[in-house]
Amino acid sequence: MRSLKLPAVSGFDEMIAPGGGVRPHYRSYHDWLLRQDRSLLQRKRKEAELQFHRVGITFNVYGEDSGTERLIPFDTLPRVIPASEWDLLERGTIQRVNALNLFLHDIYHDQNIIRDGRIPAEQIFGNSQYQPCMQDVDLHNQVYSHISGVDLIRDGEGDWYVLEDNLRTPSGVSYMIENRRMMMRLFPELFAEQTVAPVEHYPSLLLETLQQSASYANPTVVLLTPGQFNSAYFEHAFLAQQMGIELVEGADLFVKDGFVYMRTTAGPQRVDVIYRRIDDDFLDPLAFRSDSMLGVPGLLSVYRQGNVVLANAVGTGVGDDKSIYPYVPDMIRFYLDEEPILHNVPTWQCRKPDDLKEVLNQLPKLVVKEVHGAGGYGMLVGPAASQAEIDMFRARLLANPGNYIAQPTLSLSSCPIFVEEGIAPRHIDLRPFVLSGNDTRVVPGGLTRVAMKSGSLVVNSSQGGGTKDTWVLESGEDCPC
Amino acid sequence: MKLSIEHSTEYRYSERVKHSTQYLRLTPRPSARQRVLSWELDLPEQADEGSDGYNNILHVLTLDKPHQQIALTVRGVVEITDEDGEDSDHRLSPLVFTRPTVLTESNESLDELAHRHDGAGGMQLERLSESILQGMPYTPGITSVASNAREAWKLGKGVCQDHTHVFLACCRALGMPARYVSGYLYSKDSEHVASHAWAEVWQDDSWKTFDITNQTCRPRHHLKLAVGMDYMDACPVRGVRFGGGVESLEAVAQVNRTVSERMQ
Repeated sequence: MRSLKLPAVSGFDEMIAPGGGVRPHYRSYHDWLLRQDRSLLQRKRKEAELQFHRVGITFNVYGEDSGTERLIPFDTLPRVIPASEWDLLERGTIQRVNALNLFLHDIYHDQNIIRDGRIPAEQIFGNSQYQPCMQDVDLHNQVYSHISGVDLIRDGEGDWYVLEDNLRTPSGVSYMIENRRMMMRLFPELFAEQTVAPVEHYPSLLLETLQQSASYANPTVVLLTPGQFNSAYFEHAFLAQQMGIELVEGADLFVKDGFVYMRTTAGPQRVDVIYRRIDDDFLDPLAFRSDSMLGVPGLLSVYRQGNVVLANAVGTGVGDDKSIYPYVPDMIRFYLDEEPILHNVPTWQCRKPDDLKEVLNQLPKLVVKEVHGAGGYGMLVGPAASQAEIDMFRARLLANPGNYIAQPTLSLSSCPIFVEEGIAPRHIDLRPFVLSGNDTRVVPGGLTRVAMKSGSLVVNSSQGGGTKDTWVLESGEDCPC
Repeated sequence: MKLSIEHSTEYRYSERVKHSTQYLRLTPRPSARQRVLSWELDLPEQADEGSDGYNNILHVLTLDKPHQQIALTVRGVVEITDEDGEDSDHRLSPLVFTRPTVLTESNESLDELAHRHDGAGGMQLERLSESILQGMPYTPGITSVASNAREAWKLGKGVCQDHTHVFLACCRALGMPARYVSGYLYSKDSEHVASHAWAEVWQDDSWKTFDITNQTCRPRHHLKLAVGMDYMDACPVRGVRFGGGVESLEAVAQVNRTVSERMQ
């Protein structure tokens, strides 16, 4: 491959600077790429596909035939982040998650942020994600979101923004680890050339975080999965195996005399910490949805007594709800007395008449999202939508404005990927994983999601998005040459 | 008024149940309105006592040996005073009770019913209560415990649970905090079952009673067991079992004025 010319994209490219030059932190990789034969890259891509099939990394897609499994496309070109930029992201995501944990503790206790007039009471208590059963329940270290995924994007200028926070059961971390393993297997020489910060210790940090979530030493930790039909089942099995803890389903656990027990061949064993990958609604059929048996009958009563830890806590959803998102910068100021390091995307709250009017006026230019939605379902991307879709959303907005927020369509930065025709830019985002135990930490890297279609801004794996390895360069220099 | 209560519930199963867990809200919390003079639970095994998110007294009963029946009996004496409203006994914001639930979600016809009683001086709750009973006279056997407010209102018949759900749906449709109450009712005639449900609305910083079925706002004969968003949160027994086949249920609740009261 003698030269590398990317088609012009509007917006910020991670590798190529506006003048066409290669950004300093990509120079080493770029030089390597130029030396490679195209057929070799193609071979490596095939090899990656085969390997992923063998390990069984698949993803169930909702809305298609039930149980449809497919491979999430993996791209072999890394997304590279220089150390100085990572420093900003690390400080910014930790600050944000700390504020969100303080917020959750506050609204489930004294509600000072409401008293202070920063957030209207009905925004919290009227929110279906606010769990009444958590009022005045005290948690160890006051941590609610032990594992948080913060979705970051960059606009046309390259400025970072938080697109959303994920405080319920964020997934995708297994791809962060598997993608790195794959890259090291495919291109070991690349890792000899420069120092990429490791991510493979994530499971041990996660286990440490889960152990620290209990108030006593050596707690028994298990991972509770909804089962093999869940879209993230692979990840549940993977993490349990990596941490060396039991992977359990609801039926493997039961409640007796105020404690949770696991059925084992050697008799019941007490469980202290449950890393649950089941939504609140399904945790306990006696307290939440009674039509599902994914959870454990009686679990909530044990949890409220403080005899078991759930990670994440019940009721974290009110912290990452899109109707609460606009208030996060204010939370940072209120609880930490600091200015937010990372920006929010400007957001119109359609429940406000003035905001709604503005949104309706420029609907074709905006992204509209349901406040409780996730995974790219039920959203409108104005510039990519047909007139019919826009009209449909206009009607929905008018019928139930409180159910929607709107944001300007940010371009999202692009990063080169390997496609049939060669190398082409595609839009990406980034989800670092933040762990909150005795302190708050984030593994350098995260999940970079890629919109596989040219020009598309939808990176969700449920909507056909792919992933690539994320390299945080360890050197303090932006130019590692 | 002193009331004595005896309430037995017996579940029988066509096959053996391997394991069952129940949430029991069968114990009244003492308050200014109700003084609990004595109360006991007779259960197959020791239950774990705590409270739920609505500050109800909750017992968790786990039966992990095979069983084919579950018998639950409660007995007690409670003195009811004729107090008007009840203060919030709990730090949970009343605004939580503006949220619709599956059982209390409204639809066009419930919205219409609600707005019809939304006068200039605020919502006319007593008129609403009247309209609900007129629109769905007390008729057992038409609805089930799983019926929601929309279905019950459409059927035009129902029991106290349905009346309460329709009332809650209307209040919440207009943003007014309203909650479900489960308990016992004393009545001289025994037309109505002694297990009862009614509603409370948050007005002027206290919870006001609306018993739609009996068209009363004075809970003089009402013993409160539990409150919640709807029936599912407040019901006296909620259980999950593994195995058991077909279930049959027999429940008898008796509420009487105590002998000493009657002699006065």
